[in-house]
Amino acid sequence: MEEVVKINIDGKEVEVPAGINLIDAAEIAGIHIPNLCYMKGMKGVGACRLCLVEVEGLKAPVIACNTKVRDNMIVKTKTERVQEVRKFVIDLLLSMHPLDCMTCTKSGICNLQKYAYEFELKESSFTRKKFGYPVDAANPFIKRDPDYCILCGRCVRVCKEQGTNVLDFMGRGIESKVVTANDRPLQESECTFCGSCVDACPVNALLEADRWRKGREWEYEKYNSVCMLCGCACEIKVSVREGDIQKINSGAKDGSVEKYLCAYGRFGFDSLRAESRLSTPLKRVNGELKETTWEDAINIVSTKLKEAGKNTCIISSASITNEDAITLKRFATEVLKTQNIGSTISLYSDPKVFKNSGKADINSSDLIIVIGLNLSQWDRVLPAIDAAVRKRVNRGAKLIVINEAETGLSTVASINLRGNEIESIKAIITALKQSGAEIDKQTEEYLSDVREITEEITKSAGMILNAKSPLILVSPELFNAASNLALIKGDIIAVYPESNARGVALMGIETESKSYAEMTDSKYSLLYIAGNVPLQNRPDTDFLIVQNSYMNDIAKNADIVLPVAEYLETSGTIIDYAGRIKHLNRAIDSHGKSKSHREIFREIAKKMGTTLKMPVESEIKKAADVKAKISAMPFEKTKNLHFEPDKFIETLNLTVINNSRLIWLKEAFEVKAEK
Amino acid sequence: MKVEEIDVDNEVGEVSEILSQNEKTKGILIHVLQQIQEDMGYLPDEVLRKLSKKLNIPLSEIYSVASFYKMFHFKPRGKKVVRVCLGTACYVRGSKKVLNMLENEFGIKSGDTTEDLTMTLETVGCVGCCGLAPVATINDNVVGEIIGNKKLEKLIDDIRE
Ligand code: SF4
Ligand code: SF4
Ligand code: SF4
Ligand code: FES
Ligand code: FES
Repeated sequence: MEEVVKINIDGKEVEVPAGINLIDAAEIAGIHIPNLCYMKGMKGVGACRLCLVEVEGLKAPVIACNTKVRDNMIVKTKTERVQEVRKFVIDLLLSMHPLDCMTCTKSGICNLQKYAYEFELKESSFTRKKFGYPVDAANPFIKRDPDYCILCGRCVRVCKEQGTNVLDFMGRGIESKVVTANDRPLQESECTFCGSCVDACPVNALLEADRWRKGREWEYEKYNSVCMLCGCACEIKVSVREGDIQKINSGAKDGSVEKYLCAYGRFGFDSLRAESRLSTPLKRVNGELKETTWEDAINIVSTKLKEAGKNTCIISSASITNEDAITLKRFATEVLKTQNIGSTISLYSDPKVFKNSGKADINSSDLIIVIGLNLSQWDRVLPAIDAAVRKRVNRGAKLIVINEAETGLSTVASINLRGNEIESIKAIITALKQSGAEIDKQTEEYLSDVREITEEITKSAGMILNAKSPLILVSPELFNAASNLALIKGDIIAVYPESNARGVALMGIETESKSYAEMTDSKYSLLYIAGNVPLQNRPDTDFLIVQNSYMNDIAKNADIVLPVAEYLETSGTIIDYAGRIKHLNRAIDSHGKSKSHREIFREIAKKMGTTLKMPVESEIKKAADVKAKISAMPFEKTKNLHFEPDKFIETLNLTVINNSRLIWLKEAFEVKAEK
Repeated sequence: MKVEEIDVDNEVGEVSEILSQNEKTKGILIHVLQQIQEDMGYLPDEVLRKLSKKLNIPLSEIYSVASFYKMFHFKPRGKKVVRVCLGTACYVRGSKKVLNMLENEFGIKSGDTTEDLTMTLETVGCVGCCGLAPVATINDNVVGEIIGNKKLEKLIDDIRE
């Protein structure tokens, strides 16, 4: 049970968890304590002094953001004394501010504006100071305008906490400024253009670069959804105006270490309106792809499917929703009656892994063990997980990195175990056994010729024993071997490149008899590709159907191309790597005449004489609700997984990268790499 | 000081054992920066980058720490560091004109250094010789009563010398 304390805030009695600060406690009581520099989840730094409150028994006011609740504390948040200080602080800030709320893009969500309104400050009572600092607008993602900066340090702290360390204060006193190292443009720093700093900035000092006159906060419709561009499956909040997406922010809860988006998820949406977006069905006429109607396309497809019969093969991507996956599964079994259905999952995992992978919340783990994963925000390999791990470490969690070679996370790990991962796992288990931990009998049988127990191994075992809730994040190929460790203690979660691999596997799209490689290498009379798969050349087949959102290499080689709605144009659910069901909400209409995967499958089925049931939420919940059952496994890598996560993620996202401002990023990094 | 050769424990000295690695590297940062500036006259970007790797302190943080102190410079310094006093007494007696003249003559703005590294031009508040206003200093030597063309020409000659 969590310990609670009783406090009284502005006359309200509340019970709150022990150890939290006064701002969070007041929030529980439904009282807002004004603050500018506080960031939920992080230690209060006391920079802005806006959060001053009075505590009975103390002479001077205290800073609420770094004062912890104590039992029977009596807090007053609105005394004349503290209100006066707050007004003074805002007054001072206004004296160094451009005060152009009428055209300022942040108007409506700016905290300075909000508090100026609250304290009835139209103007500063001090002489206004103008700085005239140059604006950094040399990249297409983020505009930095230091004239608006109130030096709250929120951007500095998010950027540091997630390990990118781009921003910091320069100079001191009134001349201080938040800048990159040596005040260079962002692209000349280690900036990844994740935009975390933009989400953190309370004023107009950090802003999406293209926001000028694209609407302000109150003009947007907001949709909570999920980014499907990689296995992190980040929660997003989409702002829409006049049917178009204006911006995307992180949708994760304030204070969660998962509050992060990479540049792909945040800025890749311009690709939705790119020329290579498919807007109508296409069919091959005299060697060339020509536009056609849905009716015609569906006629052709159903005739071809009938002809091909059992000699049909369907390959799906694992970046489709559960609803699409279930419908596809039904389509294959009820209409086509084929077993030849599989997905990209077999490229990087044994689908069984998803039945055993656990559920856990990284926010509550005090020890994270990262095995065989090369996470990187800079190379955008599961960047949100990289950021979350780094944030947990900065909030006090321990980190053990078990990896053949050095990885980006090595620099922040408490312990790095290099060399063969399997050997390291075996050694840790042996060390745990020596310290008296109970080891599964079967595991013990699999343990053989353990290499020497080094000091680091002993230390790692000690950390595991001392941890309250260890979390193992592992690459799918090492999942089985690492299961033995989780059997002793901790949760184990497989981490992989595609957003809904877990959902697609659990909804029943499994390669029962054949792998992706076998499917693409064998000859079928008809090959049906659903979604974005990393194929460039046309496999050997008589008839190729490609159902995708963009005209890519494989679509160019198809006989029929069916346009699909993108994830931002679809509703549905996915199951993320940590086993959570996440909801997508359609933010904008599907492009042109494109339709969702499930609509297309249902229409073809209908044409072929079967009405497919619509997937319902309860069946998804049921399919998702597998009890993870880990058991002792031989200490071996799963064989035949040939994939390099960084290349794979890049290939999957190539259409999005090449058709949006992300291309700038790719080019800028290539230039940097040459240097 | 060669960044590659920095031995953190040695720099920290006796208290080395009670400090974490992080505290140690942060502790010696200022000292190391001072050494680098002494050797090279300023803090070159490449050297700070190496230092960032070596001490495992983010580059942005190194710049942040260094920029807190006026004594650190991020650009090469001229052979002559000229400071024109903009204190009240000097200002009243026309030191702004002296500054503008130097800016025009050398084609740089206050705060910058000429390309050939002849001089760095800066401004200061009162240097404590108000009786001699308007005042400038060349490498900490005071030049007073810079009034009239003759005095100005002399000042330029002294800088060029
Ligand atoms: S975009 Fe991300 S990496 Fe770049 S400065 Fe902002 S928080 Fe740091
Ligand atoms: S840029 Fe924004 S977040 Fe950063 S210090 Fe300035 S006001 Fe705060
Ligand atoms: S980390 Fe992955 S899921 Fe998250 S925003 Fe980036 S691409 Fe999307
Ligand atoms: S929020 Fe507490 S000092 Fe800024
Ligand atoms: S004002 Fe220039 S020396 Fe005092």
